Amino acid sequence: MIARGVALGAVILAVAVLPWVINTPYWRGILVLCAMNVLLALSLNLVLGYAGQLNLGQSAFFAIGAYVSTILIKSYGWSFWLAGLAAVGSAGLLGLALAAFAVRLRGHYLAIASLGFAVVTYQVLLNWEKVTQGVRGIYGIVPPVPDTTALFYLVAGIALLVYALLDNLVRSPIGETLRAIREDEVSAASLGVNGAIWKAFAFGLGAAIAGLAGVFYPGFVGTLVPDAFNIVESFTMLAMVIVGGMGTMIGPVIGAIVLTFLPELLRGFGELRLMIYGVALTLVVLFMPGGIVQAWLALTVRR
Amino acid sequence: MPDLLALVVQQSVNGVYLGCLYVMVALGLTLIYGVLNQINFAHADFVTVGAFTAFFTATRLATRVLGLPDTAGYLLSLVAALGAGAVLGFLVNAAVFAPLRQRGDELRPLIATIGVSVLLENGQLALFGPIPYQFDSPLARETIRFGRIFFSAQSALVVAVSVASIAALFAFMRFTFLGKALRAVAQDRETADLMGINPNLLIALTIVIASALAGMAGALLGPVVVLTPFTGASLIVKAFAIVIIGGFGNMEGTIIAGLLVGIVEAFTVQYLGSGLIDLVVFALLLAMLVIRPTGLIAERKEENV
Repeated sequence: MIARGVALGAVILAVAVLPWVINTPYWRGILVLCAMNVLLALSLNLVLGYAGQLNLGQSAFFAIGAYVSTILIKSYGWSFWLAGLAAVGSAGLLGLALAAFAVRLRGHYLAIASLGFAVVTYQVLLNWEKVTQGVRGIYGIVPPVPDTTALFYLVAGIALLVYALLDNLVRSPIGETLRAIREDEVSAASLGVNGAIWKAFAFGLGAAIAGLAGVFYPGFVGTLVPDAFNIVESFTMLAMVIVGGMGTMIGPVIGAIVLTFLPELLRGFGELRLMIYGVALTLVVLFMPGGIVQAWLALTVRR
Repeated sequence: MPDLLALVVQQSVNGVYLGCLYVMVALGLTLIYGVLNQINFAHADFVTVGAFTAFFTATRLATRVLGLPDTAGYLLSLVAALGAGAVLGFLVNAAVFAPLRQRGDELRPLIATIGVSVLLENGQLALFGPIPYQFDSPLARETIRFGRIFFSAQSALVVAVSVASIAALFAFMRFTFLGKALRAVAQDRETADLMGINPNLLIALTIVIASALAGMAGALLGPVVVLTPFTGASLIVKAFAIVIIGGFGNMEGTIIAGLLVGIVEAFTVQYLGSGLIDLVVFALLLAMLVIRPTGLIAERKEENV
């Protein structure tokens, strides 16, 4: 308990100090992006890492969070916070809709169904021009706080809260239940676990958290176009969870940090940047199947 | 022939031709899934590699170096693309599927192939640039006309090559020893192993065949689409949809579903506009998953649904 308290204090201190260490506007922007990616990785990890549901459609919920909040603010004059709340709720409800598929499908079937779900969401954003402006996009979106540093504190603070919430959740009996479904759904059912309800819970909560990340995205970028939410975005989240260490709390956070900064640090390689990214992803899966966290544990235990 | 009927026939012809291209791509995914229970996310990027291989074979090597006529050059490029696909399949199996197979995991090979896909797409982007290539097939210029129905010689070739490849594949699976061994591995890998069949070799063979089909699909597709390093990537999700609609791992189902999606797409373009193609196809997929999650033709295994 004391160790956790110390760790929490250290993280809060690090978050507070970071914008002063990294003080160019560009890199402060990357910090905000990093905090959003942490939220997204945490959201996917709940569904994928703890409930064991192969979900490739998480980008859909990120998109719903972004679009619902922006449209409510821009077209209906809602306040940012109220619109954000509605957007998180909408994303959660859509998560329940995907859960309806997850109740019936497993493994690769669910993977492709959720991918299809993300494609349909993307196509609706692209084609429903009356509401979403389609490819033309929505412009001039302002963030809820005056500058990038404040936005970083806000999003990072929310990410910390969500982390604490999920950390307690996965240690609770609910976490046990989700892990039981992941390991063996039939055995879990024989012990009286209602798989459908708890899968729906994981999908709904995971979707709401992704939606929450989406609420802050448009203000950060200033514009909103459907292309920000194509299926590559789902793959990026997946890579964060896997590279960091699926099914652990800290793993996806590390994965999100590494995979946000790695492409930036590789910018010097120009066109080869994404090639290196692809190779790195494959190599991590081949040689560190448990991600960075497990590789680290293996190294420290051996000593 | 009345207008409406002519239109319906014309769009059906277009749909069948599109469907044949989809079947060529999706069939490989189904084959791999059948024996390996794995998804290759880089599969559609093999299509792109095949298309670029064919492009450079047809427009540079065959005509300028070997001095072949246009049509012969294009046909040679089909073979080159087939070979390129086969080589890629062999490499992906050796680098990803074979090492990860021992761990019996369905997620990690999937992620690893996403990495391969990112590598292939951006590698081609670095080599060929983002500007679309104009791949002129000599056959795309010739139009064949039956009454009021028109189609290009290229689409006739697409249908002919697809039908021939699919027939060859079925004959191989049904009548040759290797084909029978392959089906045995697909049914029960351990028992097949006990009967003296080397599953590793056959799995490698399956991936090579599947990838060769994808490569050749690229050569057929190149002249009719905008050829960029991301041409195949735009197909992959649709190919998965077809595989699911058909019933994962089921070859007959995949063929029916591929043709179905091709025809649905042709009519969507006619009546709703080309912007809605993906929406309609995926609505079909999601509806299918709700109504009949096993696909058109149910897989024997029940564990996925």
